[in-house]
Amino acid sequence: MKKGKKVISLVLSCALVVSMFTGCGSKKNNNNNTAEKTTTEATTEAKEDAADTATTETSGEKTKLRWAVWDIAATTYYQPLIDAYVAKNPNVEIEMVDLGSQDYMTALATQLAGNDTNLDVVCVKDIPGYTNLVSKNVLEPVDTTNLDLTQYGGITDQIKINDQIYALPFRSDFWVLFYNKDIFDAAGVDYPTNDMTFEQYDELARKVTKTDLGSEVYGAHYHTWRSAVQLFGILDGKNSIIGGNYDFLKSYYEMVLNEQKDGVCQDYATLKTSSLHYSGAFAQGNVAMMNMGSWFIPTLIEKIKSGEYTDIKNWGIVKYPHAEGVEPGSTLATITSLAVTSASKNKEVATDFMNFVCGAEGADVIAATGTFPAIKTDSVVSAIASMEGFPTDAESAEALKTANTYLEMPVSDKSAEIETILNDGHDYIMTETMTIDEGIAYMNEEVGKILK
Amino acid sequence: MVKTSQKSRINKVILYVVLIAITVLMLIPFIWMLSASLKYDKDVFTVPIKWIPENPKWDNYKVIWTKIPLLRFVLNTSKITLIVTALQLLTSSFAAYAFAKLEFKSKNALFLGYIATIAVPWQVYMVPQFIMMRSFGLNDTHLAIICLQAFSAFGVFMMRQFYQGIPDSLCEAARIDGMSEYKIYRKIMLPLSKPALSTLTIFTFVATWNDFLGPSIYLTTQNKKTLQIGLRMFIGQYSSEYGLIMAASVISLIPVLIVFLCLQKYFVEGVAATGIKG
Amino acid sequence: MTFDTRTNIMPIFGRILEIREGGGRPILAYDNMNNKELSVTDAKEKQEKLNALDAKMKQLQQRLMTEFNVWGLDSKKDKDKIKEKDKLLKEMKKTQKAIEKIKTGKLLSRDGKRNLVAYSFIAPNFIGFAVFTLVPVVCAFLLAFMSWDGNNPIQFVGLDNFKHLADDTRFIAALKNTVVYSVATVPFTLIAALGLAILLNKKIKGRAIFRAIGFFPYVASLIAVAAVWNNIFSPGAGIVNVLLTNLGVAKQNLPGWAADSQWAMFTVVSFSVWKSMGYYMVIYLAGLQGISAELYEAASLDGANAWQKFKNVTWPQLKPTTFFVIIMLTINCFKVYDQVYMLTQGGPGTSTLVLVYHIYQTAFVTSTDYGYASAISMVLFALVLFVTIIQFRGEKNYAND
Repeated sequence: MKKGKKVISLVLSCALVVSMFTGCGSKKNNNNNTAEKTTTEATTEAKEDAADTATTETSGEKTKLRWAVWDIAATTYYQPLIDAYVAKNPNVEIEMVDLGSQDYMTALATQLAGNDTNLDVVCVKDIPGYTNLVSKNVLEPVDTTNLDLTQYGGITDQIKINDQIYALPFRSDFWVLFYNKDIFDAAGVDYPTNDMTFEQYDELARKVTKTDLGSEVYGAHYHTWRSAVQLFGILDGKNSIIGGNYDFLKSYYEMVLNEQKDGVCQDYATLKTSSLHYSGAFAQGNVAMMNMGSWFIPTLIEKIKSGEYTDIKNWGIVKYPHAEGVEPGSTLATITSLAVTSASKNKEVATDFMNFVCGAEGADVIAATGTFPAIKTDSVVSAIASMEGFPTDAESAEALKTANTYLEMPVSDKSAEIETILNDGHDYIMTETMTIDEGIAYMNEEVGKILK
Repeated sequence: MVKTSQKSRINKVILYVVLIAITVLMLIPFIWMLSASLKYDKDVFTVPIKWIPENPKWDNYKVIWTKIPLLRFVLNTSKITLIVTALQLLTSSFAAYAFAKLEFKSKNALFLGYIATIAVPWQVYMVPQFIMMRSFGLNDTHLAIICLQAFSAFGVFMMRQFYQGIPDSLCEAARIDGMSEYKIYRKIMLPLSKPALSTLTIFTFVATWNDFLGPSIYLTTQNKKTLQIGLRMFIGQYSSEYGLIMAASVISLIPVLIVFLCLQKYFVEGVAATGIKG
Repeated sequence: MTFDTRTNIMPIFGRILEIREGGGRPILAYDNMNNKELSVTDAKEKQEKLNALDAKMKQLQQRLMTEFNVWGLDSKKDKDKIKEKDKLLKEMKKTQKAIEKIKTGKLLSRDGKRNLVAYSFIAPNFIGFAVFTLVPVVCAFLLAFMSWDGNNPIQFVGLDNFKHLADDTRFIAALKNTVVYSVATVPFTLIAALGLAILLNKKIKGRAIFRAIGFFPYVASLIAVAAVWNNIFSPGAGIVNVLLTNLGVAKQNLPGWAADSQWAMFTVVSFSVWKSMGYYMVIYLAGLQGISAELYEAASLDGANAWQKFKNVTWPQLKPTTFFVIIMLTINCFKVYDQVYMLTQGGPGTSTLVLVYHIYQTAFVTSTDYGYASAISMVLFALVLFVTIIQFRGEKNYAND
């Protein structure tokens, strides 16, 4: 009797498991089909979908989109974007689903697992996450026939996978050099310029440094991210961060480690263990120059206005320093993009919303909040440069114009794996666990294994 | 006599010195939280620590209630925590009695099965579990969190261990008197296991109250979210409002401490206090 | 032992059926155990079955008496023989059960009833547990032999995932770190928790407050706890390094603690001990209440000092609690993730990379291979199971004492 029961329960649970798995599998197959359909017969399907929306329109029912985002409370442009879209399309309703910033990509992957989700539009936070989602086949390929991709300044080419893009960028930040004018004034040194080589930058940092105990002034500040140091090396356009050979990093690590040794910048180990945020470091007023993304601009403006940042009221930005012979304005780009899920039941409307947010109209809405949209037209740049609280000098406005932008992490199916190795290598070198040569050898070897 | 009393006094002094040293070490994080909760974000992580903020930002304690729907989150969390704790206490102490005091078929196998699941990290079965729950229609419901938390192997395991400390002879005597097993559980085991039940209450309460990953995966609608998700809302992609996080953390600590202080008094009554011979 | 079994068996040698004569021929069989009338054919069948069983039982009895000299067996020398004897005894028990079943005619034996009662105790928890935890865990087990990213069709890959483990350098580093971490953390936490519990079980003023404070680092926000620890051990201006400098340690010899591959693990371990000792203290406090005051009185009468009381009363009486604490501690140590993450992010490099962090990265960050992540967790699982079974053995020995 009891044995029977045991067997039955075992069989039952196994059946559950199997049905679950096959359920996922079979649904997946359907999805693969639809994915193929959309790529090959995109036009016919679009027509069908259009017909669908037409019927919903006549019946007066609202189409409800669910949009996965992070940090609703801290992000100023979500609601204006929705308002602007709904004003144009009154029969669409958009609900934001906040999955939190820290574990956003994990939460998103879980929500999309098993190809059954109630999310229609999703934000894609980073490139490795984008690659993962594409390999899972959960993102709808973007139909680019009616889109002007040139507006994105080449970024869309960098996110192509098998000649197809699966998301459109709506936000694109780039790295600049922030500096504290007061420190330069006090030291009687000229401000940094939009055209500096790394040697000039290093020299400038050393000039304003003071190592007096208790009242130190740091000429430079590097946040603990590997991007803050390693990516100096790719700005000449000759080297790739996923290429597998990292010998080109040596001179940059030498520069930063020497600065660290001479007290020009704060010690990496102390920064890392104290979890000091770069904004906190810069806001203390004893950092002369800091390389950071343009997302820091609205934060700075806002916090100075609110009276929190009292020690850096006179700040400015200049273009990233560059290697000898490279055009100034070459910098790193970080994009945030939007995608439609392949499991969405309202793909037509969702795509329309995505095109709106990532298009010129959306760009204006985003720029109005002080954030850099992916489409950087002259009007967008001047809108941000003329914001209240933005530095008034001409150099700072000029610094917003970029020449060549390189993604912090290029698209590759190995990019996430390579990223962990590069992080480890950066950590080893900066904590001086390994010498620069050892650290670079470590990265060469481990990344080589991944690329093999 | 004089000598021994002197000696015991010295012992007492040493005892209190040790206690105070431990107290200081244990209290530092809390003091840090308090101090950070009154600071601007830029001042939270400076080295060395400034324990007393120059101009305390009391505003943090006001802002947290308006910037996010904190009250709603507190209510949601309280609801989930109370239900989970009640279910957990009831079902685990019940099941643990069988594992500790009854002989039955495949007892050891079942028990090992229970413990074995504790050993599997949640991150591994999170996705299958989510797909299963969604197929039950439980995605984005509080019921999902309750179901996940209420039937933990941990509770059964812990209660079993405490029941094992209670002498078998007590149960045997009751059985000879003709008591049913249910009655033995209710009349003998439950009253004797107050310290263990208090412990389980505290642990379940703390675990559910502080649970973050589970709710963050299952609860996506804003007004269903919990306190811990709320805390993380102050952590942004590029900047985090640590002052607000710490203010909200201090608030969220209060119920936990109340529960602890209320229940710790049961750590003095046990078999020893009821005077039953082992 | 054997004697008991025999006396148990004895009463079954008897007839339960009597055939009543009606006018010289049997018309009715009467089952006098169950007060029930039976048809003759049924009765005969039953009787035959019973006879057969009785015969078997006798035979088994005979074997037991002749083949196994119950008194003369040495537990060490005659291991095989004892095993055989146990087998025989088991069979006897089974036969006895069968006989009882026919005799009483009841569907459930006494054992069955006992089982049912026990299952009724377990059911409310077990059903919820099985549905919401066990089934997904079984899924995870199966996934270890599959390749799955959560969306694309599942593929069966056999042992490939496990083969892949051998040349995954990050996995090997993580495994090593996890074992080192656990081996260091478990004993220290145990001792600290027990010491704290004994200390706070004394009748002292403000005991409730002290207990709550001991529990503090466990419930305080992890961000706060990690920040404090990293500040104390800050390589630049932390209290510890300032102290070391005053003690005459040269600046270049100062440890970098969490940012120093030599000391990072030490920092993490000491942090963990400090953070979780309050948690296990609570368990021990509850356990201490179960010890009868009389045992201490008796020990006092024998003139035992504090250490002897601890050794002879407290420690043995706390065995079930310690068993629980060790297993939970071990499991929690093997599963450590967020403490390490907050303190060192696994660094420098891979110096404090732990298994669950690696599992998480494999499943969600660097790749999306839930199958491989499951395979890694199977290694974790095997480790924990190994420790648990050893502990279990220990507990059983204790129970037999």
